[in-house]
Amino acid sequence: MIACTDFIPAYSELFKYLHSRGGKDEVERFWNDLSDRFLGNLKQLVEEHGILGCWLYWSHTLNEEAADFTMQLDEDAGVFRIEMHRCPSMSRLMETKHMEPYPDYCRHCDVLYRRVLEPLGYTCSVDLSECRQARCSLTVIRSEGSPH
Amino acid sequence: MRRTAADNPYLHQDFHGALSVGLEYLERRFGPESVREYLWGFAKRFYAPLRADVLARGLAPLREYLERMYAAENGRISLTCSEDELVLRVDECPAVAHMRRHGLPVAPLFHETARTVNEAICEGTPFCAELLEYDHQTGRSVQVFRRRTK
Repeated sequence: MIACTDFIPAYSELFKYLHSRGGKDEVERFWNDLSDRFLGNLKQLVEEHGILGCWLYWSHTLNEEAADFTMQLDEDAGVFRIEMHRCPSMSRLMETKHMEPYPDYCRHCDVLYRRVLEPLGYTCSVDLSECRQARCSLTVIRSEGSPH
Repeated sequence: MRRTAADNPYLHQDFHGALSVGLEYLERRFGPESVREYLWGFAKRFYAPLRADVLARGLAPLREYLERMYAAENGRISLTCSEDELVLRVDECPAVAHMRRHGLPVAPLFHETARTVNEAICEGTPFCAELLEYDHQTGRSVQVFRRRTK
């Protein structure tokens, strides 16, 4: 067993391995596959609860990941936002001094969540401009006419 | 909601499911050997400090690592260790149990996270690793590390 606390370096190395087999396209193909096969719970929560589903999903995951974050939800305005003050994944990779993170590691969040949320009638934007300092933000906005 | 890292323990067992999806993807796209190749490379790099410790101190650091890992995930194990042999009996793998409990797919080659990873940790040390038993349904296993015979 690989400890779940060692998962982030294992994932970074998986991205590197995929890149070595098929370049960036192969990594993105995997991210799409992972989104389709692994984020059913996020999809289900948003389908059932609307934008509150985002709050419910990330309340669970970010607390278990011991993240340092601020999360805000305005249901009336249809806006959900996470400000990640210190991403537990990137900080873990930065602390693992004997390994280099996959250079595009952080972008998997953008690909995975956008792929779930946009078909449900939301825009999803991720600001990765400070991701090498383990800081980022994610904003989800309900689109006009979203059924959820 | 405002949380700091100190507010929660770091233990997100859903990650086992994400790794399992990754192993399935590799097998589907590139065949079973790619799963072993990836895990071997990861383990060689990530566990390099542990391997160095095994070289310096024998099986003790491996025992400490395994005890810590399974304790953190509430795994039911028994472990015996001498200077020449470490036997780890896992009654139920916490990763497999978590995935089964939450209906997450368990990759057909998930056992390679024990076999290949253990073998990679041992490479270049006086010890070798063997996965003697493995039950795919529960992850129950017997894993042995023993001193190589010349």
